[in-house]
Amino acid sequence: MDRLKSRLSFTLIAVILGFMLAIQFQTVKKPEERDTRDIWQLREALLKEKEIQANLIAEIRSNEEKLAAYESSREQSKEKTLRDTLQELKIEVGLTEITGAGITLVIEPVLEDPGIGSETKHTVPSELLRRLLNELNMYQAKYVSIDGQRIINTTVIREIQSETKIDGHSIKSLPIEVKVVVNDMEGAEKLYNNLQVSKSRDEFFIEGFRLNVLTPSPSITVPAYENPIRIRFMEPVKEGGGS
Amino acid sequence: MWLPILGLIVGIIIGLLTEIRIPAEYSNYLSIAVLAALDTLFGGIRANLQNIYDEKVFVSGFFFNIILAASLAFLGVHIGVDLYLAAVFAFGVRLFQNIAVIRRILLTKWASNKEKLEKS
Repeated sequence: MDRLKSRLSFTLIAVILGFMLAIQFQTVKKPEERDTRDIWQLREALLKEKEIQANLIAEIRSNEEKLAAYESSREQSKEKTLRDTLQELKIEVGLTEITGAGITLVIEPVLEDPGIGSETKHTVPSELLRRLLNELNMYQAKYVSIDGQRIINTTVIREIQSETKIDGHSIKSLPIEVKVVVNDMEGAEKLYNNLQVSKSRDEFFIEGFRLNVLTPSPSITVPAYENPIRIRFMEPVKEGGGS
Repeated sequence: MWLPILGLIVGIIIGLLTEIRIPAEYSNYLSIAVLAALDTLFGGIRANLQNIYDEKVFVSGFFFNIILAASLAFLGVHIGVDLYLAAVFAFGVRLFQNIAVIRRILLTKWASNKEKLEKS
């Protein structure tokens, strides 16, 4: 009985010892087999892995492309594109208010020395304004308004019964403000410098007006064009039933 | 006689099959525990052969030695002295002594058996 018991405990201890030995063996012997491949086999294996990598990268790329396509189709549906285009066109035509870097010009009559026989002027000759506009456009002005009237491509400036009208709005009282918006502050500085020495100033002075150029400001607001734009000589292109 | 060896084999098989791996930083403790277990086992065999075997001493010695060795190694790691070497040394020396004693006992037994056989 005693012998049996002692044998049992011996066996138990032996089992535990064997268990511990096996674990220790496994822990110490980590690389299970030595790498006996020669350089060509290694190269082959490397090639295979690289192929797998390339495949995986291609897969990732295609998935990303799909994702981007879904995103763009969601974001830029036809309606959104149309709206964007419409907005772009509106800005281009001049139907929106624009705020940006630019300068303000003030046209006022010369009061000090009216000269003989001259009377105080109430309106600016249209020819002068047209020349001023030409000059502004020459100096990269992008959006211009005169006396609160937005100047667009179809704007007409003319004199009706010695009264200057801009698209039907008559200039009755002086001084008037001309607001010009350009691309950026640098452009505004350039425009300012150009106007300081421009011919327009002299021309205005000859006619009895003074053209004051105020210093450039980063936020000049040009109002939107108010009148409806009538299109008389344009019609959409019809190509094969498409838009 | 064969039962403990069978147990050892069974233990090794179980250990290999479970595929348990201990983190490398703990393998020190396990190695010293294995050494302590081996020492206790051979001590037990010797005591058995000398007929001074005591079950309680054997079993308690087994676990106590393992724990002591492991905690010695632990302490050594923490105070920066390789104290586990002390355990390795102590257990190693005792292992050799025990095995030598076992060998002598077995030799005398073998010799006396031979004498008996020759006499009869």
